[in-house]
Parts: sequence; structure tokens; C-alpha cells
Amino acid sequence: MQGLPSLPVVVRLLLSGKERKDKDTHSNENKYYEGLNRNRSNEEHSNEDNKDDKPLANLLIVDDDPDIAQVLEQGFLKNSFLVSTFTNPEEALKNFQSNSEDYCLMLSDIRMPGISGIKLARKVKEINPKVKVVLMTSFEIKDNEFSKVFPSTQVDGFAQKPIRIEDLTNKILDIIGESKRRISL
Amino acid sequence: MKMRRVGSHPIQSVMEWFEDGIEAGENGILVYPNTQTFREICMQYAKDHLVAREEEQKENEDNDDDYSDNNNRRKEQLLMPRIILIATFYDTVNAVKHNLSAVGVDVQSHIDDGSLLIVDAYDGYYRNIDGIKKLVASLSERARKEGRIGVSVISNMGFFFLYDGDGDASELISYETSLPSKTDGGNVRGFSCYHTRDYENLDDSQKKELLTQGQKKSLEVTESAAYVAFDA
Repeated sequence: MQGLPSLPVVVRLLLSGKERKDKDTHSNENKYYEGLNRNRSNEEHSNEDNKDDKPLANLLIVDDDPDIAQVLEQGFLKNSFLVSTFTNPEEALKNFQSNSEDYCLMLSDIRMPGISGIKLARKVKEINPKVKVVLMTSFEIKDNEFSKVFPSTQVDGFAQKPIRIEDLTNKILDIIGESKRRISL
Repeated sequence: MKMRRVGSHPIQSVMEWFEDGIEAGENGILVYPNTQTFREICMQYAKDHLVAREEEQKENEDNDDDYSDNNNRRKEQLLMPRIILIATFYDTVNAVKHNLSAVGVDVQSHIDDGSLLIVDAYDGYYRNIDGIKKLVASLSERARKEGRIGVSVISNMGFFFLYDGDGDASELISYETSLPSKTDGGNVRGFSCYHTRDYENLDDSQKKELLTQGQKKSLEVTESAAYVAFDA
């Protein structure tokens, strides 16, 4: 597999993903991004900086915005995570159903067509309650926005986009805390 | 319900359907294939109604001497364009503004003059499911008072798929059927827009209920074509 172009360690999502879309290249989102719906480890990544580090955790990343999904993938790979990235939540769910024990945490956008992040979180927790769930959104998170969701859906954290990869990484490390797994390769 | 292909270009077909397929006072259902197509629909519609109107208006001002009493009404219509309400869901309000600016729409001036409103559909439905309806009613009234042609509402219905469990579309169907398919003397053209992945969450009976209970006109857009539904 070809390595991805390297990114700075700190990747700033300057604009929310929905504002960064390239109108021409994304006319067919699925085709454009079908190549990303796969699992990558940092061994496959071109970055050699952390080649001796074991992955911190295996993350399932779901965002229907291909740009955001790619930036997250590259940022987390750079920070020594294993990641599986999906722009289609249905495909993410199928993957999770088959590999739920492999994941430590799911990071998902909230507003996605087909299966929202909230529905996805519910299904992920049903399949494997041990997996942590962090939801992220470009929209303002209102105080009572999720009152309709709880307690039926357990969500372990929220992230407001735009967010720096290092801040998101720290948030995820805080959340996985005690349950942090070191994966042997 | 059968489907008939219309037009040769999806976005153009949607524009034609918006103009000719849905009359003033009618509410229709649009199913779009991906978020980019929905963006393009919003951009093209705003461009056609706001930018093209600006250009036409400027042209007429240049030829002001030619104006007669007969075209005063036309001139007034040019001065008072329809109100366009975009209720976005998968893109932020700022993203929509950004997209419209990219196609030449002077977003802020149209917001300031009351011709353009861009709202987060979440805010329009969450606290009060009839929030958008109330907003549209007030816009309709304002359009009449200001002598505008009317109101066009492009509303993304993604909100109704945010929370509900699988197959629970009762709130959506209840909402859609509460929108009359046609209001005599109405000045609002309403377009309920569904991402196809959301729409496909509905089973056949729910889709049928959505369309037939309110006798709604519908247009389904794929990446390569557009199809109108019609009774067999």
C-alpha cells in the first residue's frame, strides 16, 4: 500500500469539514472516497517517526465528510493509533459488527445521512458496550440537544469541530484512560 | 407509483421542477443522491433567483427611460424578489453562506434586505416540530405585505432521521402530511428535501404514505438523472 503524504504532527482543522468541501472532487462522495474505507496501521503509514511505538488503541472513525475523515485518519496514525476510517456509516457498522472486539473507541460525526452518529452510537454500544463512543459535530452543541438521546444512548464524550488533532487525541486518551489497550503487533 | 425520467441534467431538471412542477401554494418532495447535489441545488436556485435578478434589475435600470406604466409591475417584482428560506441540516449555516457566496450571491445584502434566510433545520424542528411552519407562515405574510412574488422553502429533512429508531417514521409522516399539498391562493413553494440514504430508511409503505396521504408531487434525483413520480 502506498504511504499517505505526511502531515505536521499538529493538524489544525481550520474550518469545519462541511465548509471545506471541494465542490468538484466530491460530486460523487462514495466513489471518491471508497479507497479510504479500510483499516490502516501506522506500519503502513509513511511516517517513520513512531515506527517503534506500539499503537495506543484501535479507533473506528466515521465522518461523511471525506476531507475530515482523511485528516483525522492521518492525524491519529501520526499519533500512534490504529484507525479504520469510514465515510459511510452503514459500512462502518458492518465492519464493527464483524470486528467489535478489535476496537477501543468509536469517533463519529453526528449529522450523517443514512445512520446518524447518535444511532450509530446506540448500535455500537448494543454490540459491544465496552467500546467507548465520542461524537463530534461542526454544529453548536446546545445544552439540551442530547436530552432526547440520554439515557437510551451512552456517549462517553463530545467534540466540537473544529478541533486540533492533539486536543482530540488527549480527549480520547482521557476517555480510554484505564481501559487503554496496548495492542501487540 | 411509477417513475418517469425528466430532463437531461439532474440539477437543471430540479430547477425546472422547482419552477414548473411545483406551483405557488404547493409542497413537493425531493430526494437527492448526495450532499454535494443538495449543495448545488441550493446554490443554483439562489443564483437563479437572486443573482440573475440583480443582473436583470441592473439592465432595466440602465434602460429606465424605456419603462412604461405597463412594466411597472414587472419592475416592482424585480425590486422585490421572492424570499428564499434554506433550512440546512448536513451543512452548517456558515457553510451554506460560503457556498452561495462562491457562486456570486451577495449573501449578506440579501439577508439584510429580507430576501434570503438560512437557518439550521435542527433549530427549526427540535424544540417545536412546527417551528419551520410558523417561520414560513410569517415569511408568507411578510412577502404579501412587501409585494414580493412569494416564498420558496428548501428544507432538508435530515433532522427527522437523527434520533428515531429504525423504522420509526411516524413523526416525519405526521409532519409531512400536515403540510397541505396545495393551498389555494398560497404564495409558498415548499420543497422537503431528503438525502437518499435517509429516504431509504423508510419502508415501502412509509414512502407510499408520505407521498399519497398528502398527494405530494415528488422528484427523485440520481447522480445522472431526475425522475418524477406519477400514479400508474
